[in-house]
Amino acid sequence: MAPGESGQPQASGDSAPVASSPPLPPPEKPSAVRQRSYVVLSFWLVVLLLGLPIWWKTTAIYRAELPLDRMLKWADGKACRPVFPLQISIQADSLQEQEAQNLIRLTQHALDDLNDFSGHHLRLQLAPRNAPLPRDDFQTALTIRLKPGTSSSASLNQESAVLDITYPPNHVPSLTSPSSPLASYITNELRATFAEEQSIISYLLSTSSMSTGVRPQGLSAEAAEALSKRTTRSLRYAPTYHLTFSLFTDNALPNTWDIEAALDEYIRPMLEVLRPIHNFTIDTQIQLYAIPGVQSQVLSKDHLSSFINAAEWPLSPSIGKAPTINFVIYIGNQTVGLDAEAETAQSWMIPQWGTVYLLSQPDTESHVSTAALKQPMLTFGGHLLSLMGTPQSGSLPLRLSTLGRIRSTDLLLRASSTLGSLARLSLALPSISIPRSVADGVSKTMHHLELACADLGGPEGLMHARIAEEEAERAFFEKSMVGQLYFPDEHKIAVYLPLLGPVFVPLLMGLINEVKKFIKEAKQKAQEARSKKHQ
Amino acid sequence: MKLSGLSFRALVASLLLASASVAEHTSNWAVLVCTSRFWFNYRHLANVLSMYRTVKRLGIPDSQIILMLPDDMACNPRNAFPGTVYSNSDRAVDLYGDNIEVDYRGYEVTVENFIRLLTDRVGDETPRSKRLLTDDRSNIFVYMTGHGGNEFLKFQDAEEIGAFDLADAFEQMWEKKRYHEILFMIDTCQANTMYSRLYSPNIIATGSSELDQSSYSHHADNDVGVAVIDRYTYYNLEFLEAHVQDLSSKKTVGELFDSYNYEKIHSTAGVRYDLFPGGEQAARSRLITDFFGNIQNVEVDRAKDLALEEELVELSKTIAMLRKREAAEDAARHNVSSIPASVPTAPPRKIQGAKALTEDDWWTKKVIGATALAGCALLWGVGTFLEA
Repeated sequence: MAPGESGQPQASGDSAPVASSPPLPPPEKPSAVRQRSYVVLSFWLVVLLLGLPIWWKTTAIYRAELPLDRMLKWADGKACRPVFPLQISIQADSLQEQEAQNLIRLTQHALDDLNDFSGHHLRLQLAPRNAPLPRDDFQTALTIRLKPGTSSSASLNQESAVLDITYPPNHVPSLTSPSSPLASYITNELRATFAEEQSIISYLLSTSSMSTGVRPQGLSAEAAEALSKRTTRSLRYAPTYHLTFSLFTDNALPNTWDIEAALDEYIRPMLEVLRPIHNFTIDTQIQLYAIPGVQSQVLSKDHLSSFINAAEWPLSPSIGKAPTINFVIYIGNQTVGLDAEAETAQSWMIPQWGTVYLLSQPDTESHVSTAALKQPMLTFGGHLLSLMGTPQSGSLPLRLSTLGRIRSTDLLLRASSTLGSLARLSLALPSISIPRSVADGVSKTMHHLELACADLGGPEGLMHARIAEEEAERAFFEKSMVGQLYFPDEHKIAVYLPLLGPVFVPLLMGLINEVKKFIKEAKQKAQEARSKKHQ
Repeated sequence: MKLSGLSFRALVASLLLASASVAEHTSNWAVLVCTSRFWFNYRHLANVLSMYRTVKRLGIPDSQIILMLPDDMACNPRNAFPGTVYSNSDRAVDLYGDNIEVDYRGYEVTVENFIRLLTDRVGDETPRSKRLLTDDRSNIFVYMTGHGGNEFLKFQDAEEIGAFDLADAFEQMWEKKRYHEILFMIDTCQANTMYSRLYSPNIIATGSSELDQSSYSHHADNDVGVAVIDRYTYYNLEFLEAHVQDLSSKKTVGELFDSYNYEKIHSTAGVRYDLFPGGEQAARSRLITDFFGNIQNVEVDRAKDLALEEELVELSKTIAMLRKREAAEDAARHNVSSIPASVPTAPPRKIQGAKALTEDDWWTKKVIGATALAGCALLWGVGTFLEA
């Protein structure tokens, strides 16, 4: 074996340059090369055709189409011109048919001439002769009963929406005369009757964004303040309110009260009247040893706002979804001192919250009777109407029907402004998702808004306005529209880099190698082709 | 001279505008958020609880305070004084007391819940006490404390809220008219960065420390064993206790901000006025009780209109009776009962069987199920056939 051993170095010496470089692997088979290309290609195809669409699809934010233009139109008040055609029927059985017609024509003219707020439109019509007593419905806002008498006088019927007007016979317009004292008298009476409603509604419209063209004209600062006070005081519309009647006392007595009887007697009738507009639920409570926030004997006006011991008195039962209105009776001999020394008061109203009544009672009395509860309950009833936003003037039926119209307007405006908010938000926050239920809600809202707008002032209008407002709120407060909306770029990198880094390095390297090889081959081919040409 | 005259006029105009547009607010709300848990963050809970005590002292009822506490220090086993939380080593005031209403506690305190609270995008199951039921006449005091950084505030140990998210949430509130004015106060490290992104109007913002500054604790209680309050909150409270004893206080927000200084707080407290209509002047002149107190413009009954009210009741009775009679007549005439308008006219309810939660692809799913069943039956049939 020695020669062999000695021979090998020789051989190695011969092939020294070859042996110093690492031994080359056997050349790749063309099929393997092709296979590798396919592998790289298929990986890239999977990434591009499967991975990318899936990533896109799963990270895309679903945004339902919203009719933004129409929504903004509603919000700007261009979609609906709120008009309140109020039907006023005139019963003039004592007049000749033609005379009555003439009177109505004249009065209507006078009204139209005077009207500065075109939305609020009074339309007169002649009631059929010998009609029964006017029905208390929404079709006719007011009925005027004309009766001959000795002098001009007008009085509102307390029980139904009727204005009784008496007139001296010589005031009836003749068929040819262009004016008549009676017509102008009726006009003035009507204007006076609807003045408050008109100013409230025009105030509502002017404070909303729907104010195009509607400005309360000639509204004195005082009137404006009174109106804003009304809006401050009244609660936001809700289909149902929860009334809590509470009796607080600073010792152990009294511990019973005839609240059920008092409610039946003084509160329930009023709730019954409000029923077409609101529903009510009631609960009552007695709290003993309740210490008020202020203990001085005579309460000044500054004290009143801290009288309610909010920290300790259980006044927010949060029962159900309805907002609570509180009516508190506090047993104690404190009084409210007003600016004038002699003047005192027993009760005060807290805007959007309720009423407090200070009831003085002998310390030994353990029971509050219905008679003692009468005055507080009556006060509460009156305040309830104020808190609901009922106008102050006019007869009760008229005030209620006005309340219905005010609420319809209010709801209509709210729903419209909610639509506008939603539209602006969806433009401002491009990364917020908008589920389909929102789009559904929006289209429902607009449908009902249109219906409400067509019949503002009627019961249908109120119902549609309410549905519209409900739907708009639901669409705006859609639960799934929350999520973190903003992700800084650092966060995105932090999420994607660890995930995609290890995957993309081999993918990219493979692609680069393949491309390089392809270019090399192409060059080689070109060279071969050239050398062939030269041959 | 001319320039100053012009600017003066502009100022007057803006003031007039502000006074015209700013109507009074009718309710006060407070959102008090602590975002950190665990014993060594005792001071953050104490911060929030002392703010809670202050707003309650000034009359905001529990129903209008949203308190978020991620941990319960009073019942922490490490607490040497069980059932109590103190924000001062003299331990004079037990912040926990016997009357505290925590609305969001423990793991309910999340970024999502906080944003849901602000935007009121909550489910039907959420009780009223957990919701911020504000309107365009509500002033809100938002106080946040925890561990923060540049443009973020850490919630619990898992997530964080960014300054952009906060700004967007406030913007959504503004769009929906959910506030009248907001006082935003934040006590974290680099707190001022949190309000830097706000862009909605009517917000006054203040924070404890600038970018790259820490917010420090005030002092530790040796028996409790940890720091009990942060400096910024401590000096806020000191001012409020000393100068805002009750609702009649006329101290302004500006005076509160002027009381901050570097020597006391050990960081540069910041204030932001530019979102407020009327700018710095208008913002500074707001009363502290506009945000910390519960202002109610009560209306005292002067005249005794007892007779009138009695009349009203009588009238209501007659009207109700008339209506009832009418309804009865109507019913007799049309044989249809009139429905009160306040009852949403629901279509007659039909009794339904089991109902899928989502209606999507209801039929497709049915078809797939039926096909699968049929396929199984077929396979079984083929199997038995082959076996035979």
